[in-house]
Amino acid sequence: MPAWIVVTGVTVGYLMVSLAVGLYSGRSATKGPEGFIAGDRTLGFLILYFVMGASIFSAFAFLGGPGWAYSRGAAAFYILSYGTIGLIPWYAYAPRVAALGRRFGYVTQAELLAHRFKSRSLSAVLAVITLVAFIPYLTLQMQGAGYVFNVVTEGRVPHWLGAAIAYGVVLIYVYASGVMGVGWTNTFQGIFMMGLAWGLGLYLPFKLYGGVGAMFEELALAVPEMLAPPGLDAAGAPWSWGGYGSAIAISAIGFSIWPHYFMKIYTAKSEAVLKKTIIFYPTFQIFLLPIMFIGFAGILRYPGVTPADSILPTILMSMDLPAFVVGLFCAGALAASMSTGDALLHAAGSIMVRDFFCVLSPRKLTDDEQTRLIRFLLLIISAVAYFFAVMSNVSIVELLLLSYGFIAQIAPVLIAALYWGRATPQGVLAGLAVGCATVIAFQYNPAWQWQQIHPGIFGVLANLAVLVPVSLATAPMDEDHVAQFVVE
Amino acid sequence: MRRTPRFFSSKLSTTERRVYGAATAWFVLAAAAMLWPLYPPFARVRPLVFGMPFALFWLTLILVISFLVGVALFRWESRR
Repeated sequence: MPAWIVVTGVTVGYLMVSLAVGLYSGRSATKGPEGFIAGDRTLGFLILYFVMGASIFSAFAFLGGPGWAYSRGAAAFYILSYGTIGLIPWYAYAPRVAALGRRFGYVTQAELLAHRFKSRSLSAVLAVITLVAFIPYLTLQMQGAGYVFNVVTEGRVPHWLGAAIAYGVVLIYVYASGVMGVGWTNTFQGIFMMGLAWGLGLYLPFKLYGGVGAMFEELALAVPEMLAPPGLDAAGAPWSWGGYGSAIAISAIGFSIWPHYFMKIYTAKSEAVLKKTIIFYPTFQIFLLPIMFIGFAGILRYPGVTPADSILPTILMSMDLPAFVVGLFCAGALAASMSTGDALLHAAGSIMVRDFFCVLSPRKLTDDEQTRLIRFLLLIISAVAYFFAVMSNVSIVELLLLSYGFIAQIAPVLIAALYWGRATPQGVLAGLAVGCATVIAFQYNPAWQWQQIHPGIFGVLANLAVLVPVSLATAPMDEDHVAQFVVE
Repeated sequence: MRRTPRFFSSKLSTTERRVYGAATAWFVLAAAAMLWPLYPPFARVRPLVFGMPFALFWLTLILVISFLVGVALFRWESRR
């Protein structure tokens, strides 16, 4: 049997299992938005652990992670660092967010913030920022899926078809099962990609160098500059500590803020489940070690591979591995892409309905109408992302950098909402506007980026510098209302 | 307005304040130890530890200790 048939067979098998798990899991949830978006607040530890782990590890982890280690060396270490601390702020505020969610019926981030600040414009602004940040992110996941399909079938499945197949499956189970579909498929996909990363990350250095230690020993002699942080920048010149450190900072800030993760706070069954998920998160994070080993394994044995992100498929295709193993890799990379894409898609639809349409609609939408509208938007959002993924030449990576900068601007709003009673709606709105404008200004003026620091950091500083004085200069909010949210 | 920004609730006991304070101190230290200027002295290739460059071992060590601190904190909370 030709190898590509086996590969395609394994991949299709994986897609069928994902679909079956996704469809089966939605039966128990109620039909309204609370069931569709927050799973009726019943998720246990295991499923929440994998939802958080697998949503965060995207196509970037499987293709970009090795690509960074391969082309930029120790610069890739930053992806191990930010997850160590990124989820910790949740330990402080997530239990309270969950309790407020139960009390007031929130299922999104903006519902909490808009209620705290009694501001419908804040809700709409946050919804728009979220959508703008999500589309490039989702587009990138689709491109990753199409790319993997194309490489492992040796070009027989074109990019557009691969992306369409993988995201057709995602669309079906998210459409049918909502967050339960996302949760249970992520559990399956998470176990799958973790197993594969450890397997490949230990096997490839062993096969190519005789072991992880032997590999680094050889690299330390040949290219010591690749192993010492902050490594190299995108152009191959030494990276700065400012660039390296602010990449960690902006990712760590984003970790506890990205609306599609934040929404998962509301799905937790109890405070203990939430806290356990946060505590055990590093056990998922550590799978980035073998991911980086894969990239390092390519440096001496496979020089000159471009683009760097194709290093893992390149190594695999050249090694005469059994077709079955290549098929597993293909499925693993798809799992990484789909487990992020499904969470993004689900969150984008939910947020647009709850925080944009429900807020601006002149009459109250019924539960049934909301769920139907979310499903309709899932189709529209997938179509838009798919259009960018296969037909447009817009630089997605640049848009994604902007996304991170924008999302980070929500952090000061959230902290002010929960920890500073004096913060006012005028203050946070002005802070958001100035923060986002600063991100754009710095993004398009690289010369301003002192020490190669990420534009998002400058945005957060400008945001705070506006939020605080404007809040102090405007009338304080009603104390009894604010006291429901702020720590005393 | 008397309400001032605070990280911990004023209703915590002294013991709670100490435990949460210690955990917070660790995570702040952990973050600092992965960034300039605390990280550069340890961001070296040799010695290789468990086959990894020292810089990578250092980050792994911080990750493992952070996990253990988290587990200890959670268990302490559950016992009460």
